[in-house]
This record gives sequence, C-alpha cells and structure tokens, in this order.
Amino acid sequence: MKRKILATLLSAFMAASLFTGCGSGSNGSSSASADGVQEITWMFWDDLDATEDLISLGYKDTLDRFNEQYKGKYHVTAVTTNLEEYYAKLNALVQSGETPDVFICSPGPQLSDYVTPDGASPADGLCMNLDEALAQDGWKDTFAGDAVFSQQTYDGSVYAIPLNTAAACCFYNTEMFEDAGAKVPTNFDEMIDACEKLQAKGYTPITISAGTAWCLSMVAGYLCEAEGVDLAALADGSASWEDGKLEAACDKLLALSKYFQPTAAGDTNDVATANFYNREAAMLIQGSWAIGQINGETKKSDPEFQNICGVFAFPGVDRIIAKSDSLCISKDTKCPEAAIALVKMFTDDTAQKYTAEVGGKIPVTNVEYDASKAPAQLSYVMDVFGNAKGTFGFYNESLPTTEAGSHFDDTMVSVFLGDLTPADAAKDMEEYYNENCR
Amino acid sequence: MDKLLRNKKAIFIFMAPGLILFTFVLFIPICQSLYYSLCDYKATSILGPKFVGLKNYRDLMKDDTFWIALKNSLFFLVFSCVTQLIMGLFLAGLLTNIEKGKNLFKNIIYLPCVLSSAALGLLWMFIFSPKFGINKLIETLGVEGFVKNGPLWLFDTSGFIVLPMWVIAFVALWQYVGQSMMLYMAQISGISKSLYEASYIDGCSKARSFFHITLPLIRPMVATAMSLNAIGSLKFFDLVFNMTEGGPNHKTEVLATHLYQQGFKYSKYGYASAIGIVLLILCLIVTAFINKVVKTEQYEM
Repeated sequence: MKRKILATLLSAFMAASLFTGCGSGSNGSSSASADGVQEITWMFWDDLDATEDLISLGYKDTLDRFNEQYKGKYHVTAVTTNLEEYYAKLNALVQSGETPDVFICSPGPQLSDYVTPDGASPADGLCMNLDEALAQDGWKDTFAGDAVFSQQTYDGSVYAIPLNTAAACCFYNTEMFEDAGAKVPTNFDEMIDACEKLQAKGYTPITISAGTAWCLSMVAGYLCEAEGVDLAALADGSASWEDGKLEAACDKLLALSKYFQPTAAGDTNDVATANFYNREAAMLIQGSWAIGQINGETKKSDPEFQNICGVFAFPGVDRIIAKSDSLCISKDTKCPEAAIALVKMFTDDTAQKYTAEVGGKIPVTNVEYDASKAPAQLSYVMDVFGNAKGTFGFYNESLPTTEAGSHFDDTMVSVFLGDLTPADAAKDMEEYYNENCR
Repeated sequence: MDKLLRNKKAIFIFMAPGLILFTFVLFIPICQSLYYSLCDYKATSILGPKFVGLKNYRDLMKDDTFWIALKNSLFFLVFSCVTQLIMGLFLAGLLTNIEKGKNLFKNIIYLPCVLSSAALGLLWMFIFSPKFGINKLIETLGVEGFVKNGPLWLFDTSGFIVLPMWVIAFVALWQYVGQSMMLYMAQISGISKSLYEASYIDGCSKARSFFHITLPLIRPMVATAMSLNAIGSLKFFDLVFNMTEGGPNHKTEVLATHLYQQGFKYSKYGYASAIGIVLLILCLIVTAFINKVVKTEQYEM
C-alpha cells in the first residue's frame, strides 16, 4: 500500500513538473526580490564578459554604476547574446511574455516592429511612451536637439532613446596609401584609381564582408545615393527600381568588387574588420562604431595602429549614412522608475563622455568631452559629419519593411556573386516592391 | 504476461506516459504548426495569428531560397543515404572480419557521433578556412600561393551543387558513418556462423558470402538505417548552421536552416511553420518510399 501511495505521489510530481513550463508567463521580467530590491533586465547584442569592443565595455560600466548607485533599491541584470541571434532571442522573450524591461534596438523597421506591431497605433505597441519621462527634470534638454529623436518618434511621441550616433565611413591605412602613392579619393573614379595603385603595390585594397550581407549592402546604399535613388518615391510607386539608377549603382559595385579581398563572399563582418586592423587590407568601409572595436582589439597587440588609421567620407556622395543605438523600455515593465533611471544613466555625462573619449562614437547629448582624450578617428568622423550635407539611413533599415531591407541586401550580394546581372537586380527589386511594398 | 495483456486498465496505465508525452510534445505542436502555417503570425504580433489560408504556401512556391534549400536538402538526402550505406556496410563488413583492434577501430569510427555537432562544425569551419587549415597546410608543404588562390571550400558559389555543400556532406558522412556501421555490425553479428561455414564448404569466397548471405539477411536493418539517415538528412541543421549559416547568400541553405532564419531571424512564425509542414511531408514520403523499396522480410538467422 505504501509503495502504491509513493508511486502515485511520484507520478503526480513528475506530471506536475512536466507542465510547469506550460503556463503563460507573467508580463515583463522585472520582479521584486525578498529584500525589496526591484530587479529589472537589460538586453543587449554583445557578450559583456567576453567583448573587447570599447562601446560594449562602456555599457557594462554603466550597468555597474547603476547597480552601485541604486544598491538596495534597484538591480539590473544584463541578458546578452551575439548580434546575429539578438532579435531571435528578443522575439522569443516577447512571445513568451518575458519582454526585457529595457532592450536595445536599431531604428527603422526593426524599431517599428516593436513600437507599431501589426501596424497598430504606438499606444498599443510594446514600447513605453517616453514623452513624460523626457519632460521630467529637464532630461530632454540635455540632448543635442530634437533631431536626435527623429528616428525614434512615432505620431509625435518618443518611444526610444538614442545613445550615440555613428556614420558609415571609409577607414584607411595611411601607411599603405603613402607607400602606394594613393590619395584620399573624393569621387568614384579617384576611388578606383586609389585601389589600382594599392593593388599594384601588392596590397588588398578593400576588405569587406558579403557573408554579413548588410556590410556589402551599405556600400551599395552609398552607390545608390550617388546615382540619386529616391527611396520615398520608390515606396509610393512614383519611381521605379528599373529607371537605370540601381543598375548604374550595381555596375559601380561590380567595378569596386574587383578590389575586394578574395574571401569577401564568405567573410563575416568581424573577419573583414580584423583584416583591416591586422594590416592585411588598406581600406575598410564600415560604420564609425568600428572605432571601438578596432582600438579595443589593437590596444595590446598593435597600439600604433590607431595613429595610422585615417577616415574619409565615401567618395562621390554629399550625404552620409548615419545610425544610432537606441534603448526601448517595455510597456509592461513592472518597475518603470528603475527602467527610466537606467536609460537616463546611459545618457548622463559620464556615459556620454565615455562614448566619445573612449568609444569613439558621437554623443547624443550636449556633454563637453575632452577631444584630446578621444581617439583620433573620432575627430575625422566629426569632420565627415561636418562636411556632409545631410544624413540617410542604412538601406536595409530604410526600406518599408525588415524583409524588404533583407531582400535588398541579398540582391546586392547576388550581384556581387554574379548570380544576378545589374539589370536583373533592378527587375527583381521592382517586382518585390510591386508585390510586397506598394 | 497473457493475463496482464488482457487487463485493459494495465494496458492503458502502461501506455499513458508515452501517449501523454507524444500528444503534448509532438501531436499537438504538429497540429498547431499546421494551423499557424495557414496564418500570418509574426513574433511581435499583438493580435495573434491571423488566418490567411494558403498564402504562406503560395509565397513558398515563389521563394527562391526555399527552392535552393529544397535542392540542397534533397542532395543531402541522396548523398547521405548512398554514402552512409556503402561506407557503413564496408566498415561493418571489414570490422566484423578482423581479429585484432576491432574495438579500437569501432570506437575511433563511432567517436564523432557522440561529439557535439556545434563544436565539430566550428572545428571543420576552421579546417576549411582559407587563411589557415587545409589551404595553409598545403602552402606550407610547398604549393606556393595556395592560401590566396586555393579553393574557397566554404565560400565558393559556382555550380549546381556548390562546393560548400559537398564539404558539409563529407563532414556529415565522417560524423555519422559510425552510427550506420554500428547498426549494420549489430545485425551482422546476429547472423549464424553456420551459414558462413556452410558457404565456405561449398567453395564460397568471403566477398561472395558477403553479397549472398550478409546483405540479404541485413536488409531489414538497411531499411531502418536508411530511414534514419533520410530523416536525419532532411532535418539536418547543426553542421550547416555552424559551418556556413546557410551562406554565402543562402547558397548552402537547407530546409531546416531556412525554417530557422524565417522563424527566428525574421520572426515569421506562420511562414516558418509552412516550411516545417513541407519538411514533415517530405520526411513521411521518403520514409514510406524507403520502406516500400527495401523489402524487409524477416529471416530466421
């Protein structure tokens, strides 16, 4: 009899344990621990314990500062993953009702997926309206103007806070340029000329990643800009991808691709960037966020590299591609005060000074930083910004949907690999837009 | 035992754990996937799944990457079934006939099966990396410029079946041939020695006895091993994901990686479910085909 009771109890326990994971999770992942400390989560796309990226390390410092300053009141735990897996993991958490209290997100269609899911009103979305928080204690006045919120504003309200600004530039090895007798190019023909000289001298002129499609697509975006592609007109159907502009841009991409490293088709973004700071290639076309990565990786192995790393604007275009990391707060957070306090800390003077002086990114606030402490590359990027007539977004983040952006990326890689001719690429994009975007 | 088998309550109690597990872990999710495959369902959706009929399947037919993934999965299926059958049988036949070192070789060949596919994928990725690994080794051995001009094992995109797919298929063969070999060895060891002795007395060579005794008697295991290989090949994911992530430009995408990309990278749960249903149907068709083609009559051994 005892055995039967024991067996029944054990079976019941096993069955119960099987179903423990089946219940619907509570909304939000914040909670109060036994000692009354409010726990919140912050989700990010880099491993803070393993990274050498100076910007990521700065974020880690901010989390430590927050936990120290609000000891006994709030505590933040970082949920990290690599960049490639980031949105998959975030979406899984959103679906399971465990949306992190604070999470990083790229502006554009990706941010729209969370602010206006299913085309809903932002008020019904997943992110908190931050207007009220920004108005308190003059927080909004600390930012460098309303323009910094342009990509985070929906229906006149702010739903994400930008942390820094970066521009897509051309990094170059000044020693290699000097040795090859190449000059900083100001138009596409001069770019080809510089590549020719570098190649003749035995250098790999450009390192780029087509394995990480957006890297190649970024170059294609610049070439499209140079040809006058109008994304808004394409979206509303008043212009066509087959008007010859994309085709001309693809022709230039193919001309430029002759100077890429042989493994560009499969190299990832990290590998392509490493080719540059390991002095295996003369140019890297990349966002200025790479400054933190380049300087972090070469800090011990090649500290001199910073001094020979120059930056110039992509030749032949008046505007530059700009992007900012943005933090969103979940609408379902159980501790909005803690979440707002955390996001504020990311934009306080200490964090923003670090952004410029160590990370090499452009701060979004009016903070005064010591330019002599900042990496030399930052001043070059500031020059690029100063000389630009305006900014535009990454093509894969500026097209009507995330899928349309990915389709553009893949189409550009197909052109590079020779799977599509420039004319076919234009036709393919036009068909895609007709079916999915207009 | 007979008394127990007549007791319907006992039968139900013994079947219940398996039935419950099957229902909740397999049957209900499959039914859910079938429903989701008919819905527009994004991860960030606040409205939940929205019924759209066969739209996902129609989109699938127009999706170039799906056709590449299907082609690669079918290539993988054929390559795996054929090579694992031949290599598995060859190794099983060889090892059952050697006197010394049988266990050592058995363990060496089977070892990759028990290792993590993720770790092996990364290991082989480094081995086939253009900058080090094979190309570097060949250059070190004296072939000049091989690092720069040698084959791009994991990046080449020319040909109907691209080179990286052949490389991944080779690695999969290396990893899983031990499993096929073990299955065949288990069946071979069950064949009565007297059958072989009788064949030798009749003047049969070892090779002929293999083809006329061993092969016919292990047909049931051939069907089982091939079914396992076929299903494993169709849902193959880990090595592809770790070695190429489906790239360059989706050229090495298989159905499982395409499903993953659509479901988790683009959060299109409905579309990914449609790929999953296609995968399920393919698995059922292939298994039925193999069981039909490889007749599995049982012989007294």
